Amino acid sequence: MFRQHFDLPLGEDGSGRFVPWIVAVMVYLATLSVAAGMAVNRSVDKWNIGLEGTITVEIAASNTRAEDPGEPMARALSLLRSTAGVRSATPLADDEIARLLEPWLGQGDVPLTLPIPQLIDVRLEAGTQLDLDALGTLLENAVPGARLDDHQYWTERLSDFGRSVQVTSAFIVALVALAGAGTVIFATRAGLAIHREVIELMHLVGSRDSYIAGQFQAHAMSLSLRGGVVGLALGAATLGILRAIAAPIEGSLLPTVTITAGAWAVLAALPLLAGLIATITARVTVVRALQEMP
Amino acid sequence: MGYSADEEVLRGINFHLRPGSFHFLTGPSGAGKTSLLRLMYLAHRASGGVVRIFNRDIARTRRSVLPGLRRRIGVVFQDFRLLDHLSARDNVALTLRIGRVREDIIRDHVTELLDWVGLGDHLDAKPPTLSDGEKQRVAIARAVIGRPNLLVADEPTGSVDEYQGVRIMRLFEELNRIGTTVVIATHDHRLISQFNYPVMELDHGTFGISGAK
Repeated sequence: MFRQHFDLPLGEDGSGRFVPWIVAVMVYLATLSVAAGMAVNRSVDKWNIGLEGTITVEIAASNTRAEDPGEPMARALSLLRSTAGVRSATPLADDEIARLLEPWLGQGDVPLTLPIPQLIDVRLEAGTQLDLDALGTLLENAVPGARLDDHQYWTERLSDFGRSVQVTSAFIVALVALAGAGTVIFATRAGLAIHREVIELMHLVGSRDSYIAGQFQAHAMSLSLRGGVVGLALGAATLGILRAIAAPIEGSLLPTVTITAGAWAVLAALPLLAGLIATITARVTVVRALQEMP
Repeated sequence: MGYSADEEVLRGINFHLRPGSFHFLTGPSGAGKTSLLRLMYLAHRASGGVVRIFNRDIARTRRSVLPGLRRRIGVVFQDFRLLDHLSARDNVALTLRIGRVREDIIRDHVTELLDWVGLGDHLDAKPPTLSDGEKQRVAIARAVIGRPNLLVADEPTGSVDEYQGVRIMRLFEELNRIGTTVVIATHDHRLISQFNYPVMELDHGTFGISGAK
């Protein structure tokens, strides 16, 4: 008979009808953006971790065409294996080099027909402080044309790329939040205009601004949460579809894209964030408008 | 006394209402009765002069304090100002809810009061389905439910028959007896003569209070 209810009939007017749909789109975009940022970041981390403690030695193809093609490789291996701090130095087999080149050059007997350099995969002892410049010079002296690659060029660029994606993702989420807040401001102002007489009466019978604002903010939160859940569900479905489409090419051209439980928790918080933004925005909008009353 | 910067509606009015007093306010249309009432129920702050209510200078009172003062004032509006989307019960309960009174207390008081004003069988009726007289009784119930310190009523018996009018006046007298200061604006000289209370007369710039007859 007597139950908790809104004194203001906010649900009965059209002022907030579009809010859940717009919030759904906003949360959907934010979900994709945050998921992309986190997936790329995780892949960059995995690449960096994979490259940590390794260097690659490249012996130019001109050296491998010498009278004894195995001789430069033997000299390089001998030097590397005798260097303190080097755990292992393993030449990459031709078929392994062919497999690495397969995404670009296709299947075939690549090393036999193209002047492909030979590669040595060097693993360092954990925590070793090897002077790579000195080692590179020694290597160059021992095997002219041999080059030492500590992957710094790639890791730096990968880190830059990861940071760029993160910044872009955060920028998109900020834009989405601003657009969402704008939507709530518009809907709240419409609600204030529609229910002006009711609000005036509540004001005259002693209602505090916070009491009236509380009704608007509860309404805005309800609408935004509903929209947010729909947006998150659509976003999760889209991520699932993208994952299924990417699965066959992952590991070759694309890194393995995984969204961890922690990442899902972050995504699940997006509708709550939308609700919180809507609540605060509605409250500030209403309280500011009510300040104009005596 | 005025409440607008560019238009002075009330001027040269000076009076003091003793707590627990009962006054009629009368005067021709356009004399400023409603404006005076609006100042009394804090719908406006005066642009000049001093309005003191409950020993507070309203012009110098912080805005955040005014809701608490308004809750001590019951208002019966001439046009009722009921909320059409709420039932009679919820309209009357509004002031108590705003004051955060417990729901079980609200239920008992609202039901009892609506029963008393003859609307016990219209608890769930929405204002659009009620007659003007019934709406007026709901509006009066809303104004008095919180046992205000000051009751301001603008033509409270204008839409009810004589029998209901007298019942409403008796209700106001009951409230007055327990300490509520009552001000009733009315054109109805028969009503004024029927009850022996002082009359404030406002007539385009002149203001006077006549004692009880």
